[in-house]
Order: sequence, then C-alpha cells, then structure tokens
Amino acid sequence: MILRIAVLVILLLLTACRSLGSAQRPPGAPTGSAAAESPAGAAPSAVPPAPTRQFRLGSAASALVTQAHARAAAGDYPAAMATLERALRIEPENPLAWIELGRVQLAAGNPAQADSMGHKALALASGDPNAQSAAWRLIGDSLRARGRNPEASTADARADALTPR
Amino acid sequence: MARRLRKIIVRRVLWGGVLAVLIAAIAAVAVYYFYVDRSVTQQFQGRRWTLPAQVFAAPLELYVGAPLSMNDLLEELSRLQYRAGAKADRPGSFRRQDDRIDIALRATRFADEARAAQMLSIVAGARSIEALRDAAGHDMPVLRLDPLLIGSIFPTHGEDRIVVTPAEVPALLPAALKAVEDRKFDTHHGVDPLAVVRALWIDLRSHQIAQGGSTLTQQLVKSYFLDSRQTMGRKLREALMAMALEAHFTKADLMNAYINEIYLGQDGDRAVHGFGLASQFYFGKPLGEIDLAQLSLLVALVRGPSYYDPRHHPERALARRNLVLKLMVDLSVISAQDAASATASPLGVTTRAAGAYYPSYLDFVRRTLRRDYQETDLTQEGLKIYTSLEPRAQDQAEQTLDRELTRLERSRRATNASLDGAIVITAPASGDVIAIVGGRRIGYSGFNRALDAARPMGSLVKPFVYLTALETHRYNVASIVQDAPLDIRMPNGAHWRPVNFTRQTYGPVPLVRALAESMNLATVALGMDVGVTHVAQTLQRFGLERAPAQVPALLLGAVNATPLEVAQLYSGLASGGYRTPLRAVRAVISAAGQPLKAFPLELNPIAQPDVVFEVEQMMQQVMERGTGRPGRSVLPADLVVLGKSGSTSDLRDSWFAGFSGSHLAVVWVGYDDNRPTGFTGAAAALAIWAHVLAGLATTSWSAAMPDSLTDVALDYMSGLQLEGNCADANTIHMAVPVSTQLAKKAGCMGAPAPRATERLGERLRAIIHP
Repeated sequence: MILRIAVLVILLLLTACRSLGSAQRPPGAPTGSAAAESPAGAAPSAVPPAPTRQFRLGSAASALVTQAHARAAAGDYPAAMATLERALRIEPENPLAWIELGRVQLAAGNPAQADSMGHKALALASGDPNAQSAAWRLIGDSLRARGRNPEASTADARADALTPR
Repeated sequence: MARRLRKIIVRRVLWGGVLAVLIAAIAAVAVYYFYVDRSVTQQFQGRRWTLPAQVFAAPLELYVGAPLSMNDLLEELSRLQYRAGAKADRPGSFRRQDDRIDIALRATRFADEARAAQMLSIVAGARSIEALRDAAGHDMPVLRLDPLLIGSIFPTHGEDRIVVTPAEVPALLPAALKAVEDRKFDTHHGVDPLAVVRALWIDLRSHQIAQGGSTLTQQLVKSYFLDSRQTMGRKLREALMAMALEAHFTKADLMNAYINEIYLGQDGDRAVHGFGLASQFYFGKPLGEIDLAQLSLLVALVRGPSYYDPRHHPERALARRNLVLKLMVDLSVISAQDAASATASPLGVTTRAAGAYYPSYLDFVRRTLRRDYQETDLTQEGLKIYTSLEPRAQDQAEQTLDRELTRLERSRRATNASLDGAIVITAPASGDVIAIVGGRRIGYSGFNRALDAARPMGSLVKPFVYLTALETHRYNVASIVQDAPLDIRMPNGAHWRPVNFTRQTYGPVPLVRALAESMNLATVALGMDVGVTHVAQTLQRFGLERAPAQVPALLLGAVNATPLEVAQLYSGLASGGYRTPLRAVRAVISAAGQPLKAFPLELNPIAQPDVVFEVEQMMQQVMERGTGRPGRSVLPADLVVLGKSGSTSDLRDSWFAGFSGSHLAVVWVGYDDNRPTGFTGAAAALAIWAHVLAGLATTSWSAAMPDSLTDVALDYMSGLQLEGNCADANTIHMAVPVSTQLAKKAGCMGAPAPRATERLGERLRAIIHP
C-alpha cells in the first residue's frame, strides 16, 4: 500500500513537471514519459520504482545483436542496421532491440533517429527500470550529439535515478 | 579448223567468264565475310546481356520459438521448390521424418551477405520451431531460408533472363542440345553443309522455308544478331556470321552463350530467354536442380516455345519431350533405363503460369525504385532487389479476397462478378509492407486498386478526429459529446445537416462509445469544437500527402485516400505515435554483390504516445462493442485487435482498417465505376479483414500503458466512473490522464464495504445450508 502511494506521489510530481516544461517541445512531439522535459533544476525522484518485469533478448535476437555489434565495429553501419532490423522483426516489442538500433543510428551520425528510438524503447520498457535507464542514456547521448547538453544532463539524471551507478 | 578454233575460243571465253564471275563472287563474299567478321566479333566480344533486376521476397526467419508448424515449413519449402526425398543430399532437397526435417540448403545471396550451401535440421512442434541444428548437430540461434525470387523488372520490349555460368549448367544440357539440335556441333565450322542441303531439298519440295538445319551457332546468331524474317539473303548472312563466330570463339563459349540467349517461352509481355530463367519459369528452381525429364522438356521447347508450351499444350509438349529422350538414347547420351523412367514421369511444370509472380506488389516495388533509379538501371544492370513481401501472407490475402467477394456476391445474388477490392498488410513496427492485393484477379497486372483507387475514407477518418480532440487535453475517453441533430452553415450559405447511419440520434454519449459505434453527429460536434483545420493537420502529420479540403464534411471522411495511404495513416496509430515510412524495398545490391541502396527503418514522432494509447483503447472497443464486433466471431477469442470501419455515401465504398500487435491490414471493397455496393464497412470489408488477420500468425495488441495514464472502470453507455463492485456487462476499463476528475456513477460509492458483508453473508449461508 505504501508503495502504491509512493508511486502515485511520484506520478503526480512527474505530471507537474510536464506542465512546467511543455513549452520546450513542439506540440505533437512525443515524450516517452511525462517527465521527459523536466527542467534540469527539478531533480528526478531518487526512489527507483519497483521493477515489475525484466526484458531480455531471446537467443535469436541476441545472436543477431552480437553480429550487428561486429558489423558496427567494422564501420559497416548499414549492415549492422539490417541485422538489427532482423532482431526487431523477431521481437518488435522488446525495448532492448530498439535501444541497440538507436545506438547504431547514433554511431552512424543520425542522432534524431537515435532519439526517436530511445523514446520508443522507453514507452515499451514500462515496468523495467534497467531497460528504461538504458533508454534514457540513449536519449541523453543523442541529445548531447546535437549539442543539447542541459537536456542531455536531465536525461542522464533520469537514467541514474532508475539504476544508480 | 577454224571451227575447232572458234569452239576452243568460245569455250575458253565461256570458262573465263564463269571463272571471272566465280572469282568476283568469291571476292565479294570474302569482302562481305571480312566485314561481317569484324562487326560480329566486336559485338560478341563485348557482349553483355541486358539483365533485368531480380526481385526477392523476404526470407523466412527460422529460430527456436518461431511461429511455424511443420506444415508451414513444408509449404515454404515447396514454394522454394525444394525436393522431398529419402535423403537430403543435394542442395535443394530435404527429408522429413515425423517432426524432424533435414534440409540441404542451397547457396544463396541475401541483401547483406552470401551464404554457402549447408545442412540444417529442424524439429517442428504443433505451432512453433523447437530446435534448429547445423550438420554437426550444434544448436543454431537463427537462420534464414532462401529468399524467394518473385519477379524481375524487364524492359518494355520484354526480354527477361537469368544468366547462368557454365558451372551452373548440368553437364547433360549441352549433350542433349547437341543430340537434338546439332549433332556435328563439336566438329563443324559454324554451318553443317549436309544439313543445309537436306533442309534446302525439303524447302524446295514444300515451297516454303521452314525446315531447320541450322547449327546451334546459327541459331545463336539468329537470336542474338538478326530478326526473325526468313529470306535467302538472311540465310547467307547468318551462315557467314556463324562461321565468323566459330573462327574466333571456343565451342564452350558459344554453347554457354546459346544456353543464355535462346528464347524459351512467353508470359504476357515478358519473353523468357535462356535456360536459367526457363528453369525458374517452368519449374520454379535453379537450372542445376532439374531432373532428366525436366531438362528434356526445356530442350524440347527450343523448336517452338509457344507450339510446345507445356501449360497450354501439355500433350504436344509431352510427345516432343519423349522424342528428345529417345534421340538421347539413340546417341547413347543417356541409358535406355533412365530414359524409360523419365518418359514415364509427368511434365512437372508449376501450376501458376506466372510462377511466384505478384504483380501488385512488384508494381509498388517498381514505383518505389523509380524515385532513385533510371528505367535502364532496373532493366539492364542485373540489380538484386530485396523486398518485405511475405509470400504466405500474400497468397492467403489473395485467396481470402476472392473467396469472400464471391460469397458476398452470392449473398446479394449479384449477376455479374465485378465487385472488387484491395488489401494492404504491413508490419507496423518496421514499416514493412508484407502483402499487396490490387484486385481479385490473382496474378493479373491490371488496375492496382491498393495503390491507385483513391476513395473517400468515410469513417476511417474518425480516430484522427478523436485523437485531435484528446490532444487539446480538454477531452478524455469518458468526456460527453452530444449526438444530436446538427445544422452547419457553410461559407457559401448552404446548410449541411449530417445524419447518423441508423438515422437515429443518441443524445449525450462518451467519446469512447461515439467512436466505437461510429456516430456521425457526435463526431461532427466534437470535430467542429476542436477545429476542422486541426483535424486536417493531424491527417497530414500522420502521412496524408495531399492537403485535404478543410470543410466540415472532412470530419466524416470527405477526403480521398488509397488503401496504401490508409495503411500509412493507421500505422502511426499502431506504432504508438511514430510515423514509419511504409517500405516494400529493404535493399538494392549490384550484380557484383555491392550494396547500392538501403532503405533503413525510420521513426518520426508525430503524436504523444499517451494520446495514441487512449485512441487505441477506444479502437479496441470498436471491436468489442461497436461496428467491428461482427468480426470477432472469425478471430481467436483471446486475440486483441483494434480497428475501425468505414463506409461512404450510398455505400459506394466499404472499408476496414485495423491492427493486432504485429500486423496492420487495410481492406477496401467497391466497384471500379463507383456504383453503390449495398455493403457497409462492417458488412463487407470487415469480414475480409478478420479472415486476413485470423490467417496470419499474429500477436495480440498489448501496448504498455504510459506512466502518465491511469486505468479506470467506466460505464460504456454513460461514461460515468465506477468504483467498487458496480461492474456489469457495460463496464469497460480505459486509460485516462492520471489527474483526471471523472463524474462517478451514483450509488456506486463506498461499494467495497457492501461487498465484504455480502461475502460474509454468503459464507454464513454456506454454513447454514451446507
């Protein structure tokens, strides 16, 4: 019960943050969570929510991710993306697959796509703080790659709050 | 004396004249030969067949847990023309034993890599793959079957071919060609004088030039350099050209050129050239894998591909094939025993005349590529194009459309079968277009309704009206709108008085019910409040390319869209607020295997995920309680799907669009001449849509609720919030923004307490009356 109240309070806080920061984003642009635009000052809650699930990649998607890493390391980003798309076709609702694809997009110099994939992953990762944290880190890195450092720091802080380093 | 002298002089002059003429003729022919020799040699040296781009379907992914039964696997192997046998030894063969299947995979080329031939063992359960192992018995995480060749993009003059190297040609083919067409091929110099004399004799007797007698080299010349008119002058030129080729090229070179050049069949505008394509065209498999009987049939076709067409004249083809087999025995090319068993076997051609060709889908592929490539690049450069087509889904959708339209026509006793339709199926997560059916005539490349029939969207537009309303944050799914008579005055002074399909009005209704039951008046009232302009903008944000006319009738779907465009619009809803451009083509690679162009997955944010989630939940109620409900009986009870019906004025168009967790499908039904169909979206398109979805191995829609929303119990009829134990048949669970204050249903407060006493009472009753 106490946990539920805590979650409710956090959610209410996040909603409040949302109305504060909503002017920063063009209308229609999605945010993976209501807290996406919390200004740097409003530190994210320090209490990580209790995990209700934990995403993992199946053996097929895992093998493809490994192969994609090798291709990305060799600088062949299109081939790495093609391999990750195979993983995504197998597990389209696994946030980890989207984060992997976002990472390659970032390495290939497409931070806007990386950002979208981070938010997509965040929406799918509901209930899994580790996956949410990884999504926030991707979002943070993609913001930084576009010189949006204050927003990047906020995203990093959200990631830290979910899985303290 | 003088007489004798005169005789000698006359004779000498005569002979001299003859000699002079002869020398002149030989000189002329020699000069002509020299000219022919140079031009022929040059042309042939730099020869390069124009290679139409080859188009491939998506390869089937195999992994433990993949939703494929043994039957699915067998069906796919048969589509790829793998042979079943007692052992899987040669590439292209497989052996099945109970739930296990051993496959000798062919060497193949994917968009991102080439794969050598290899062995694979699969254990298939009732619904999914249970094990996947390599030749050594090691588990493999994931592996693709060969991508199915689904067609090629050939130029307008229609020459299509697949070039084969000598290594890909069965050794028997050259031997068979020599036995049947040109026994002296290995020794002659381009022409076979005896054969020419024989042919000439027969020609003279029958007063027509029809008999063969051409060597393989002459046939090659005729096909490669000349047109098909048969004149004496042309015959001479052909002979000289053949001699010239023989002087400069090896027999092996000429044989390989012949095998790739010769005309072997016709498929509409498409001329089938070369044995490589002919093998695919007639048997659906690579040339290296055909058996003796099939090889003999191809050789038989050389003499007259249309006269001996095995699909149209099987008895002629069979007779000629068996003659080929007999000739091969006579010349000891094959044993009498082999010939006997081949003679006994059927023709073995694939049933579908077009092979695995999907014209509607190829049409979309061609249009996609025209943006980036010249026509000549596509028809000549031997490109390989990898697409997202899933043959299983495509075949199933084609059959469903025809079957259901026939059923609908019978139900209306329609006299002429001209009711038509279109289906588009996509995977919304990746934007892959996996099937396109452009009409009910399967394999017919005519009017492509999926791409070109731009029809009014009707009620399919409504989810975007509701989405626009939720985006204002002034509405939620339980907000009340009035479904009451409307009189809207247009700028030109006219009045617009929309009505509901049922001609009734429903009074105050919650948004969720208004959308589920597709109420026109409530929707127009809502749309007028949020602004037609904003609704138009929403549609454009979701991918509608032309700006719609901003009139109130837009709120009821007075905007034209093709089934493919509707699929794009709905895919923004299905993917949770992201626009992922629909794509048929994943990658293009060059003839040499170099990647040329990739079409990677793209995600562009177009709406807040929480707002989209609320709309999705309302669309779920369309299926559970609204206009989509009749479709539920076709679908598995536990499969969660979302959708929306659409019909236009006088029921000219019947639409249904919707999605599961992994697939999105759009169905349109109507007449090409825009006659009223008599069917609503729910009556015609919905049934087809539900059958299409039920036939796919699809997953339930199960998006996670965004953290900004909370789940509430609502009364579907009134939109009032329920608390405690007030649930009844009208209770639905919906998400609303966390801080939303909802009107509560009277008499429902403090419900948990009575529930506790009730339970106590039950327990007491149980004690009293055991």
